[in-house]
Amino acid sequence: MLQSKTFVKKTKRGKILKVVREHYLREDIYSGSPLDPECDPASFKLSPDAQRYIVLDTNVALHQMDFLEHAAVTDVVVPAIVLEEVRARNQSVFQRLKALTASDFKRFYVFANENHKDTYVKQDPGESPNDRNDRAIRRAAEWYSQRMPGKPILLLTDDAGNRTKAIEAGVEAMSCAAYARLREDVPELSDLVSAGLATQAEQREVGGGAGPKKKRRVFEDHKPLSEVTAGIKAGRYHQGTLRVSRFNPWEGYIACQSVEQEILLSGRGALNRAMDGDVVAVELLLEEQWRGPSAHLPTQAELDAADASEGEEEVLGEDGGAHIAQVDPGEHYPGVAGAAGGDDTSAARQPTGRVVGIIKRSWRTRGYCGSLQPPRVPGASHGPGTASVLVCPVERRYPFVRITTRQAATLSDKRIVVAIDAWDTDSLYPTGHYVRTLGAIGDKETETEVLLLENDINTAPFTPAVHACVPPLPWALGEAEAADPARADLRHLPVCSVDPPGCKDIDDALHVRRLAGGNLELGRRIDMLPKPLTEDICSLRSGVDRLAFSAIWEVTPDAQILSTRFTKSIIRSREALTYAEAQARIDDERLTDDVSCNLREMNRLAKILRARRSERGALSLASPEVKFEIDTETHDPLDVGMYQLRDTNQMVEEMMLLANCSVAEATLGAFPACSLLRRHPTPAPRQFEPLLRAAAAAGFAIDASSSKTLAASLDGAVRASDPYFNKLVRIMATRCMTQAVYFNSGELSVPEYHHYGLAAPLYTHFTSPIRRYADVVVHRVLMAALGLAPLPGSMRDRPRVADTVDNLNVRHKNAQLAGRASVELHTLIFFRGRTVVADARVTRVMRVRANGLLVFVPKYGIEGPVHLDDADRAGKEGVSSSAPAAVDSAPGAVPRFVYDEEKQTVSREDGGVAYTIFDTCAVTISVEETAGNRRVLALRLTDRAQLPDGERMG
Amino acid sequence: MEYVNTVGLRLDGRRPNEIRQLRAEMSTLASADGSATFEMGNTKVLAAVYGPREASNRAQTDTSKATVRCEYSMAAFSSGERRRRGKSDRRATETSLAIANTLEQNILTELLPRTQIDIYVQVLQADGGMRCAAINAAFLALADAGVPMRDSVAACAAGYLDGTALLDLNYTEDGGGGPEVAVALQTGLHQVLMLQTDSKLSMEVFEEVVELASNGCRAVAEFLRTTLLAHVGRLSLATSIAKSEA
Amino acid sequence: MTETCTPGQRLGLVTEFEPGAGTYVAGSFVCASLVGIQRTVPVEETADKRLPRLEVSRSTRPDPVPSPGDVVTARITRLTPRLALADILCVGEHPCAQRYSGVVRIQDVRATEIDSVRLPAAFRPGDLIRAEVLSLGDARSYFLTTAKNELGVVYAKSIAAGVPMVPLSWQEMQCPTTQSVESRKVARV
Repeated sequence: MLQSKTFVKKTKRGKILKVVREHYLREDIYSGSPLDPECDPASFKLSPDAQRYIVLDTNVALHQMDFLEHAAVTDVVVPAIVLEEVRARNQSVFQRLKALTASDFKRFYVFANENHKDTYVKQDPGESPNDRNDRAIRRAAEWYSQRMPGKPILLLTDDAGNRTKAIEAGVEAMSCAAYARLREDVPELSDLVSAGLATQAEQREVGGGAGPKKKRRVFEDHKPLSEVTAGIKAGRYHQGTLRVSRFNPWEGYIACQSVEQEILLSGRGALNRAMDGDVVAVELLLEEQWRGPSAHLPTQAELDAADASEGEEEVLGEDGGAHIAQVDPGEHYPGVAGAAGGDDTSAARQPTGRVVGIIKRSWRTRGYCGSLQPPRVPGASHGPGTASVLVCPVERRYPFVRITTRQAATLSDKRIVVAIDAWDTDSLYPTGHYVRTLGAIGDKETETEVLLLENDINTAPFTPAVHACVPPLPWALGEAEAADPARADLRHLPVCSVDPPGCKDIDDALHVRRLAGGNLELGRRIDMLPKPLTEDICSLRSGVDRLAFSAIWEVTPDAQILSTRFTKSIIRSREALTYAEAQARIDDERLTDDVSCNLREMNRLAKILRARRSERGALSLASPEVKFEIDTETHDPLDVGMYQLRDTNQMVEEMMLLANCSVAEATLGAFPACSLLRRHPTPAPRQFEPLLRAAAAAGFAIDASSSKTLAASLDGAVRASDPYFNKLVRIMATRCMTQAVYFNSGELSVPEYHHYGLAAPLYTHFTSPIRRYADVVVHRVLMAALGLAPLPGSMRDRPRVADTVDNLNVRHKNAQLAGRASVELHTLIFFRGRTVVADARVTRVMRVRANGLLVFVPKYGIEGPVHLDDADRAGKEGVSSSAPAAVDSAPGAVPRFVYDEEKQTVSREDGGVAYTIFDTCAVTISVEETAGNRRVLALRLTDRAQLPDGERMG
Repeated sequence: MEYVNTVGLRLDGRRPNEIRQLRAEMSTLASADGSATFEMGNTKVLAAVYGPREASNRAQTDTSKATVRCEYSMAAFSSGERRRRGKSDRRATETSLAIANTLEQNILTELLPRTQIDIYVQVLQADGGMRCAAINAAFLALADAGVPMRDSVAACAAGYLDGTALLDLNYTEDGGGGPEVAVALQTGLHQVLMLQTDSKLSMEVFEEVVELASNGCRAVAEFLRTTLLAHVGRLSLATSIAKSEA
Repeated sequence: MTETCTPGQRLGLVTEFEPGAGTYVAGSFVCASLVGIQRTVPVEETADKRLPRLEVSRSTRPDPVPSPGDVVTARITRLTPRLALADILCVGEHPCAQRYSGVVRIQDVRATEIDSVRLPAAFRPGDLIRAEVLSLGDARSYFLTTAKNELGVVYAKSIAAGVPMVPLSWQEMQCPTTQSVESRKVARV
């Protein structure tokens, strides 16, 4: 059973501590190939028909994951030491490698070389651990070739030294790039090879000894990590996570504790290859070099120009000609530079710095979505063969990525995913490699996939194991369930559900019943799961028996709660109503059936509850939610409009809030240390500043000292002439709010549990377990609180709960972002090919800037920037991308606008036009194609007077 | 930390159901009535037994049976970091009691009234599983001292990490934060003499871990038996040589 | 035939065997309680019991313990005017596992002329003597005696050369190198 060879490893830790560990070497480790007569059949993994077996080196595993994941790369031996090294170096690559080893099709066999008695390698005195590991990998490859003399064994490594030594030892060795070339059957394999340093070196080698190209150094070297950490300790450098502007990849901010204000990083040189999300070390510039953030809306033309010039610079740099890709520390966007020049003198200067080192890269392993930069010469297409091209990312905050591809021609009209591999000092752009193609640009499916990917939403289908847990359809109530004494049979109650039209996952059902003694019984039942679950079994469809979890309150006629009860139940919904249907039933006094009366009664109670809630200071906020009429066949949006809110929506919402609050109380009572709750932190006063300023400009005072005063002030902000004004203010208030988050009750003190927006001391999510995992967790905790099931293990120890909560918050946020992006996408599709003029009755100014406005079109839920100069420039056809200088050279042609921050007004110098916040205006909405194949919704001011009657919207 | 890797091997190369290498030596101390060293991998424990001898404290003398006492301690050099542990070390006291209690059940104490048996256990090198190694060493030392006993005793621990039950945790695995259950068995009588754990664990996991630990005990018992028999063989050989010389 | 066994091992059925030393009865079995060699003692003709007896004896002979009447070998460690202290090394033929201390009182050195005995003239530290155990003695030592012809010093080294001396008479020994003569209570071997 146990191999008795014991080796002892000695390592030293910080305190010079001798650690002695046993290391057992075994005889029962096999090669995993049927060709090996000694191999245990249970461990067969490698195919006997494979052309060759590949032995993997660590550097390949670390940097060439996309290459390894290609379906053509199979029959790979992964020495355990490689897995170990990868795990220590990069967790996400490790997970991917692990997934590969688990796959049956890829045939990646993990060979436990470290525990095999013949392949264990002892570290020689004076040998570095790295060298030892390399030797161990070579030893494993050697062992394989000895074991299977007939089968070619190939050591895949990007380390030239390792290759030489392997060949000396009689093992065939190759780099990834060389192997990809060898595999002529799969040309796209070459594209997937990461353009790491090693590959570049190789390309030079292959290039026929032409000698390395003399490349100009574009960036300063990053300081070594030791210097950076010492610098941070000494206060010379500041550490923080970089956030790059959404519009400009060369402008970013970091917030760090050592400096009060955020530090501005402006220009390519200052950013020094850092990208959004990286943890960087920053050195502050001298105070006279500080600059302010631009109060200027970057125009589309400027952005395009910048994008276009990006490539240009690159080309010039590539040619190595006279044009030097000089980058000053303070370099600004070419287009913005002129206009922003004036800002520098303003008082709004802020600490400005430059990146000296990158502490942690956050390059996304899932890659970046983008499209190929079109060829420079119009009409010329990418030829066949290997080409070096720039990929323009969909998100403007990321820089272009240089990739080498053989499929440039086919990729030119596609959205693709690229991964970034490296960014050298002599390259303007990071180098990366092609990962996969998503589809044609502009296609709805493709673009949806882009936005899901960009927001990190996992769309992988549920695994068969998950599906196996789902009972088969058609599902019917089981005897055992019906007989469960803990389950109340409520099938006799007149329950009905109210949901949006077309809703497939019906998850709320309600009832009300008059009890003897005049009290009322109010009930609400609830029940992210695989499809059969969401759409059938857990969906509380009408007329069928369903298992549910019910919250039942006994209330007085004036909605005072007397008692609360939770129970597992069986219900049969009488009717599945939509909001509109329910509303109609309430309004139609002639209807006196059970359901209608119940709805009416419930509505009355909900109104009382609602009133009581706002009295406590609950905010009623608004958000520009829109809904799309979707074409049933093409799934393209046919119409778009504001989401209409009815009484019934509020009724359902009120019941939902009541259930959530009650559940929060119940679970917290039972498990004070491990209940999953949701809190909404009170926003900091400065977060309200934009709202206060805007309201002041409109002549209203808003008191944001507490949620109650805020609610009152919001109620007071009414303009008799303008019914929509109040809604605008509420939308604005929503924007000032902090994000509500899930948390574990054990982590915070009780006052911190407060939910600001709802003015509730306790809140949680309980009512939608079908579509929110948080609710499932809360359900489990509640079950435990009621003593129906043991507390799930995952809720028992703190670190695991903390992990769950963090993940919930991240996923919630991503889902929100993706939701917004999806709305944007559908809006774009809707406006594709049509130009709509939204007139003054429907368009409002939400923010005023020095050269433009942010306008909001409620009808479409569109909010976007409008440039004041555009209105005057209407005659001139937009600034062509090839002439970015035009913006700078003719500033005189653009009429100057004066910006009054106090009054939130911008007016033309000649006094012609003035726009104030909340003003109405008219805009033309159209879709424009911009550089990098991004489609944007362009809004242009239309002179109020010039509107032709036919185009007016109403 | 990954305690069981992709190919199902633990950090030190064992599989989850394997114990570490065992070594034992008997009669290592001349002055004690019985003594033994016992090693489980890098854990090395020395046990010395004095007695049965007249009880030192008359007041505590049990007229019906022998008193078993144990003193367990860790040598200052036993763990990586040099640490002096006083007599008042609570963990050591608890382990002492556990060892004494476990072995007392196995000794035919009723045959030795008014006597006391002292077991001294010193951990020379600590690498996890000290409590079990101590019980095994003390059993060997008692056998060496010729104390009459009911059955063979063997102890082994098992833990639960990464969703797998692991036999005989070493120091690194012990620090993994998972539950650990120590079991001591009378292997012939199939009686549990000791079952200890410091952590909460669910019923299913508990059963799995105890089952594994019991299997470990049986493996240890087999080893202890061969050790004892070899010791007897060596002694009888020595006596016969002595006789022939005489 | 000998067979080794370990505690708890079942040796036989109670109905077939009588439990002897080193065994106990558990249920219907006679089990070993010691590590050692198993032996079956056949039925004694005279005994009432009809069953053979099972015994387990520790393979190691129990440590020889001096008892009155035993002839022991001891080494003289110290002399006082009234007694000679000695460590008992062997009891009969068997070496002791541990040290037992013995004492030869002045009156026990020889059988005759007890009053004129001078201890320094009888023993010196380091001498090996053969003695008989008189009694268990006091709390510290066994009382030994050499008051017999065959008891007394059997081995002694000379002061001058440090080599073993040869006995001359029952009272004297001589160094073979220096020819010097020392006085001892010599045993007749």
